[in-house]
Amino acid sequence: MTAAATGPETRRDHYDAVIVGAGWSGSLIAGRLGGQGWRVLLLEAGEGGTESWSGHLDSVSTYRSAVAKVPNSAYRHNTAAPSPDVLDLSPKKGGGYTADGYFVQDGPLPYRTDYLRALGGSGMHWLGAVPRMHADDFATGTTYGYGRDWPLTAKDLEPYYEEAERELGVAGDAAEQRKLGVVSDPDYVYPMHAIPRSHIDEHCRRIDGAEITDPMEDTRTLHVTGIPQARNSTPNPAYDRKKGYRPKGAVGLPNYGERCVGNASCVPICPAQAKSSPLRVQADLPENVTLLTRRVVTRVLRGQDTRVRGVEYRAYNDPASSVSEARSVRADIVVLAGHAIENARLLLFSELAKTSDQVGRNLMDHPTTLAWALAERSVGPYRGPGHTSGWEDFRFHGKRGERAPFRIEISNWGWSWATGAPMSNVTSALGLGGDAGGTVKPDGLLGPDLRRKLGDDIGRQLQLQIAVEQSANPKNRVTIDPSRHRDALGNPRPILTYDLDPHTRDGVYAAYRVSEKIFAALEATPYTDHKPVHGVPQLGHFRHRETDLTYQGAGHGAGTHIMGEHANDSVVDSYQRTHDHPNLYAVGCGSMPSIGTSNPTLTMSALALRSAEQIHRDLAALNQPVVVRSAAGEKEKA
Amino acid sequence: MIFAEKVHDAGFEIPKTLEKLREYLQAALEVEHLTIPVYMTGMYTIRPGTNRTAYYAIRSVLLEEMLHMTLAANLLNAVGGKPQVEHPNFVKEYPVKLPLSSEKLPMIGLRHFSEEALRTFLTIETPRSISTGVREGSGWTSIGQFYEAIRQGLVNLVKEKGEHEVFKGTPDLQVGPEDFYNSGGEVFAVKDLESAQTAIRVISEQGEGVHDSIWDSDDQIFGEERQLAHYFRFNEIYTGRCYSPYDSPKRPPSGPLVDVSWNDAYPINGDSKVADYKEHQATSAVYDKAVEFNTVYATLLSCLHQAFNGQSRTMGLAVPTMLELRDRAEQLYRNPHPDPELAEKGCFASATFEITAKDLEQARERVDRLVDAAHLENDEPIDLSGITAESREQFA
Repeated sequence: MTAAATGPETRRDHYDAVIVGAGWSGSLIAGRLGGQGWRVLLLEAGEGGTESWSGHLDSVSTYRSAVAKVPNSAYRHNTAAPSPDVLDLSPKKGGGYTADGYFVQDGPLPYRTDYLRALGGSGMHWLGAVPRMHADDFATGTTYGYGRDWPLTAKDLEPYYEEAERELGVAGDAAEQRKLGVVSDPDYVYPMHAIPRSHIDEHCRRIDGAEITDPMEDTRTLHVTGIPQARNSTPNPAYDRKKGYRPKGAVGLPNYGERCVGNASCVPICPAQAKSSPLRVQADLPENVTLLTRRVVTRVLRGQDTRVRGVEYRAYNDPASSVSEARSVRADIVVLAGHAIENARLLLFSELAKTSDQVGRNLMDHPTTLAWALAERSVGPYRGPGHTSGWEDFRFHGKRGERAPFRIEISNWGWSWATGAPMSNVTSALGLGGDAGGTVKPDGLLGPDLRRKLGDDIGRQLQLQIAVEQSANPKNRVTIDPSRHRDALGNPRPILTYDLDPHTRDGVYAAYRVSEKIFAALEATPYTDHKPVHGVPQLGHFRHRETDLTYQGAGHGAGTHIMGEHANDSVVDSYQRTHDHPNLYAVGCGSMPSIGTSNPTLTMSALALRSAEQIHRDLAALNQPVVVRSAAGEKEKA
Repeated sequence: MIFAEKVHDAGFEIPKTLEKLREYLQAALEVEHLTIPVYMTGMYTIRPGTNRTAYYAIRSVLLEEMLHMTLAANLLNAVGGKPQVEHPNFVKEYPVKLPLSSEKLPMIGLRHFSEEALRTFLTIETPRSISTGVREGSGWTSIGQFYEAIRQGLVNLVKEKGEHEVFKGTPDLQVGPEDFYNSGGEVFAVKDLESAQTAIRVISEQGEGVHDSIWDSDDQIFGEERQLAHYFRFNEIYTGRCYSPYDSPKRPPSGPLVDVSWNDAYPINGDSKVADYKEHQATSAVYDKAVEFNTVYATLLSCLHQAFNGQSRTMGLAVPTMLELRDRAEQLYRNPHPDPELAEKGCFASATFEITAKDLEQARERVDRLVDAAHLENDEPIDLSGITAESREQFA
């Protein structure tokens, strides 16, 4: 038999650690273990190419020519390692939805989120917002009687947060975050000064100090607060006891990678590479780490006793076809670092970590409800990162037990998420699309009138993106059915069953009511509309407390291999090591018992760095010399 | 130019006094700047989206020339000089004779992306390792030789007077990495002989290569990936072929082909002046746009002047100014030349880089106003939103 292709992994098929997935978690752990001298194999299912400058430019062009600028629009379709796409969902007349992409969905509500299977993972299309979680977020079960507690506290994670902020390259205002209560070290500063705030932030700051009462009679005082971001700005010379910070540059082009200049396309791609990505970590991987793309892991292989012995995967050459070759590799430690849903899919198909029956369960996201309005004057949208500030006031404490807390992002990108602006403004100003009867509208504008109309309308767009906490609920889950639902390579596709429970729905409802009050305080004209259009409910529509509401996905999949102290009700321990298998780790947002209202990448990275330390200890223990009492020794004693 | 020609005319010598050394460093600043309009023209005349390899090669050299300018200013400040950028003689009218180099070199003009332009670029960047070394009247053969003279002058002066007496500039005037990074390397403060020699090494080796090779020393100095030195980066475009890792400076590149498409450029008449455009003001908006471009370029010079003279944070203001230049260039170069005869020949409009004393005066006022509006202060975070706050109503 002739092997179709050979790779470095077939020449040396045993590694100290094999890591599945080259996103943030996988890359950070590979970097740490590699730095300690371990031989590491990092397998990525998707395509590479973006690590070169021409590949990066190609992604920029792909994004620019895409009709719908969705998070995966900068990256090509991959048959061998398909990614979910937010465009896979359609609303159905009379209610419900259809899903015809990579995900099979059978829940009451659609799971409206995607991720990216490519080198760097979703760390390629992410926004780069990196708030820490609050101490309040780690024990909602005990404190508020909903959701699940972490086996860790904010204090335990603080040093790893700091490390993650260095690795990701964070720009932020530490004093502001201290005031918010998420940074406790009085001397801490971020590696770089905060990204400048937008004019919209300043516009919103006019109502600082206003008191807003939500439907649960929870009253909060508004403060516009900046968001820390993994984006290059001005390095802070005071960082790291005045050692300063050297910003990491672009990948693929030497001496490049400037500070954020407000290109406003962070999701999906920063053309100047001011936005941080896992490719930066990968560029510094030592030689004892082998990184291979186009390797789709199919199963984790069980070994003796409860241990695992490696992984089985399929290698492909052409992402447009399903032609692939099965291979396997052995390793002392296996780390699953795919997305939460991919990790669950792999564990389920491998039939591992089954004791708790929690694998695939507790699927979470941040259901995000949008609110939009026109300010009475121009506020300067469509410049800068997706958001630079938010109202953090409804995130912690108070009546959190009665309604899910929420974080209000102040959008810098106008109504783009809510209505597809600014293109939708152009379409309607031109009178395209016709009326209900199909007749071309007579009142379309052209020339200077069109420009003035667009400038006026678009320039006044305000949008709030309100991310609501969703707590762990075992009914929200990922399952597989290999006999019925497989992808082109024969791997089981994820089947999602998703819903919002009453606590979360109350959060969405409260968020909607609060947004109305904020717009009133800003003297802006609200345009928020969650009602069905021509009898067709919008995607993510539900009625709650006699109100039409909708939610979007935030791309924050979590909970599917939940962390806990006990093997009977959780999948991994606080080091993200499976309770059932001492040398199998499942890392990433899937481990999180709760995600509060923080964008999860920073917390995920902190957890990954903490896991890397434990994996190092495990590997060191495995390689200790065995002490054998010799016969000679016995004699001497006697 | 203020000093460059004077230094050139005086001929090759190692500066023996501090005064002379400062003149040399100011001349260095001027020579570094002289290349910028030349390379900008080459880059801006590439039709958007085409010739990507060439575009990014020219852009990378342009960034490094800006780095060299800043390092030259740091050197000058370190030895107690005062960098002059905002000066009506700082920018000379193109085409211009390249000072501190061989007398026999052709004039340096503004040329569109073409083989001719690349020949000019190669002329500017000719390294010592391949220059003919013919003895001439002035004794100059390359810019590298000029920097070597500065370095020797510095070493001698330190020996003679001691480090303290030579490096007596105010440390606050130095531009540091927080204001300039990931753009062709990073800027560092010059405070003693060691850092001064490193700065000189960066400038010469990025330009002409290290130790008689085609490579620069970014890997050794900054711990970054090494790159081809400027001459060789340009030679790849000119010859349409990449260098292989083992190629030597004197031989043509032997690696794979580079995709260069000379037709994907806007041909220009590089010697055009705004006065020529003015004659056609009635039929073409090019005149106004060319004047505005020069105004913005003057603003850039004014930003740099202030950044080099104690307000290093003004470097932050140079960033949006350069973005504006890029956008204005894209709008300007795509127009036919306003002169119908030239347009008939396929000529497009181009920026003239003519900067008058009046332009600089207005630029100065504008920059002062913007610095005030943005509350730019050294060591404080950079936030330019104050600049556009007033114009918020005009967003529409």
